[in-house]
Amino acid sequence: MNQSLRLLIVILPILILVFFAKVLLLDEDIKFSNFESKNFPAFELNDLNGDPVKALSLDGIKLVNVWASWCITCLVEHPFLTKLGEKNIQIIGLNYKDSDFKANAWLEKYGNPYLFSIYDPRGDLAFDLGVTGAPESYLIVNNQIVGHIQGEMNQTKWETIFLPLITKAKQGS
Amino acid sequence: MIGEISHFLSLSAALLLSLVLIFNLFFFFNKIHQNQLTLSTRLFNQACWLVFISFGMYVYLAISDDFSIAYIASHSNSQLPAFYKVTSIWSAHEGSMFLWIVFLTAWSILFINSLDKKHPLKKLTLLMLSLIILGFLLFLLLTSNPFERILPFGVLEGADINPVLQDPALAIHPPMLYLGYAGFVISFSFITAYLLNGNFELQWEQDIKNWSFMAWIFLTIGITLGSWWAYYELGWGGYWFWDPVENVALMPWLAATAFIHSLFASSKSNVLKTWTMFLGILIFALSLFGAFIVRSGIIDSVHSFANDPERGLYLLSFSGLITLLALTIFAYRLPLLNSSKLVVTGSKESFLSMNNILMVTSIFSIFLGVTYPLIIESISGEKVSIGPPYYNTIFAPLILIAAIFIMLSVDALWQRSMTLKTLFITMVAPTMASLLSIYLIWQATNIFSILAYIGIFSGSLILFSYLFRTINKKFINKGSAIAHVGLGLLFFAVSMNSILSYEKNLNLAPGQSISVNESVQNFSFKDIRVFKASNHDVISAQVLLLQDGKEISLNPQKRKYATRGQITSESAIHASVLKDTYLTIGDQLENGSWTFSLKINYFIKWIWFSAALMVFGILLTIFKKKPS
Repeated sequence: MNQSLRLLIVILPILILVFFAKVLLLDEDIKFSNFESKNFPAFELNDLNGDPVKALSLDGIKLVNVWASWCITCLVEHPFLTKLGEKNIQIIGLNYKDSDFKANAWLEKYGNPYLFSIYDPRGDLAFDLGVTGAPESYLIVNNQIVGHIQGEMNQTKWETIFLPLITKAKQGS
Repeated sequence: MIGEISHFLSLSAALLLSLVLIFNLFFFFNKIHQNQLTLSTRLFNQACWLVFISFGMYVYLAISDDFSIAYIASHSNSQLPAFYKVTSIWSAHEGSMFLWIVFLTAWSILFINSLDKKHPLKKLTLLMLSLIILGFLLFLLLTSNPFERILPFGVLEGADINPVLQDPALAIHPPMLYLGYAGFVISFSFITAYLLNGNFELQWEQDIKNWSFMAWIFLTIGITLGSWWAYYELGWGGYWFWDPVENVALMPWLAATAFIHSLFASSKSNVLKTWTMFLGILIFALSLFGAFIVRSGIIDSVHSFANDPERGLYLLSFSGLITLLALTIFAYRLPLLNSSKLVVTGSKESFLSMNNILMVTSIFSIFLGVTYPLIIESISGEKVSIGPPYYNTIFAPLILIAAIFIMLSVDALWQRSMTLKTLFITMVAPTMASLLSIYLIWQATNIFSILAYIGIFSGSLILFSYLFRTINKKFINKGSAIAHVGLGLLFFAVSMNSILSYEKNLNLAPGQSISVNESVQNFSFKDIRVFKASNHDVISAQVLLLQDGKEISLNPQKRKYATRGQITSESAIHASVLKDTYLTIGDQLENGSWTFSLKINYFIKWIWFSAALMVFGILLTIFKKKPS
């Protein structure tokens, strides 16, 4: 009796630990299973004004930028995105796990570099895209994901990663 | 610059603590040398002071609006009063972890320096404390660094604190709770040190008794404040929701309650030592488990911080390591630990040990309630939720049995058995009186609910036991009596609240009035106004109630905050001794009318009052003059 009680005192916590570790790791597996599919995933969402967005409107060369009003780094990269917008780069926002009210207020306050922003409060599309957080940027050519940057977008990353991909895409077509 | 210094000091503290550990590991098997202990203690003290200074500088950074620090930029704002700039530090994960470490360090340094230089357990306790603080410091610095800068340039304005958290209660609820959780690091480390030391002749209970009582007080105040805050400020309309995070706070509380009883018995009559040690380990293990649940994002809850598996994994491995270390030594030493005396059937300590078993049962039931949805989801992928009905059904019988044992223990003696006759006499009067009060309540209210009546009966049993003992002028331990009367009152108030309270949802246009029921004869919606306050817009409704022949004016509000756009609801509350009238305004409907939620909550203030009684009782026990 005493012997088995002693074993139980040690084994029970180990079992609990293993269980929680498993649940945690399982969570992570699900998160990364759909990471960066080649085609831009299908979705049915609205933009921030409440109008439905068609997946088809992603033809041509587009930058999809994941952002949110709660995201500090988004504010950091915001001036650079505005500059890109001025150079006629088409940027589509993916407003991630945010509320439309806060998001619109944010755009009003800091300016809107986006053609429109897909409103994804639950992170459905972001999940299919494999978004890990905000900000993240995807380079889309004719509905195909060709490039991906996690974290802040800036001059260097734009020139070294995305610009060559754009040149390549233009030569290909 | 100050940010870097603050960061550097925390790193140095971690370094010093590692030095303490490594240094002692080298000499672990040697006989303890006084100089070695003195050096370790000094290093430890310095590490603690580095943590304090580092935190002090961090507070300064928050007050001086250093928005180049990412954490401060995301949770503070230059427009906030200085008070909220400080409290914003613990409004999210990184900062609150920092605060938790500061408290852990504060308890540790106070305890270590209160121990005599020659105390045989001092060295091992010091090592345990160093290990635990180091573990948390590394967690902070490696996975949730509050010192991180936004590079190359900071932002000009912070993102503001969540308006729900702009409340004085935020200043005290989390710190009190953390003080409670962290306070049990003392009993945990001391017990582990005792078990490692292996000299079981040693008397250790007195050394940690008051420390554990203090930690219990903080934990109780912390939980009660959380409940009070949710009701008065957050507009939840109730006092307890069996939310996962409430549950993970309740588990250590139950363990701590069992622990302080058990500790009292061990220090008085040298029994239940094994129980005391087990419970002491369990409390801290459950506190760590709570931290893991809240901070790993494994369970969705109002309290949970951002989801981050990396943090979860670190916390899980670290808590697992600490807990397993303690439990393994405990299991290893178990055969040697049997108390020198056996528990006499029918003695005070026998009833105490029965209640220990009940407490552990209730902890296990809550644990099951918290983890069951996870277990099911990981097996079949199905989502289930476990709510109040589960907990109410489980707790009603447990409470009843516990109340019976409390009643018996009131008249029982230490180490002596009760005769059947005294047992019977003890039980008869409170039982009769409690049955009578149930009957009267039933007659008065005409409501029958088996669970609630079990609760009322249990509460009354405890209350009447102490009442009769006072009437008979027998000896009473005042602190214990007040705390238990608090508990009896709590059972009573919670049960009465559950049968009497009700909620009405109403739709009215401005100018309309209706009659709700016999008590609320008239509900008239006078007017609605919109105006601007400093950092938010307010929609304020004017409502006039005719309740029980009295006119009551209520102004429930909705607020929309400028910076975050968040909408909060400010309930209007009219309080009387027996009941609260709790009015919340909802949304405007298409036809221009507004929705209201009217809640009548009975005995709700009694719940917090009874918690206050418990705290007061334990305070009396701590500061009671020792019989010379």
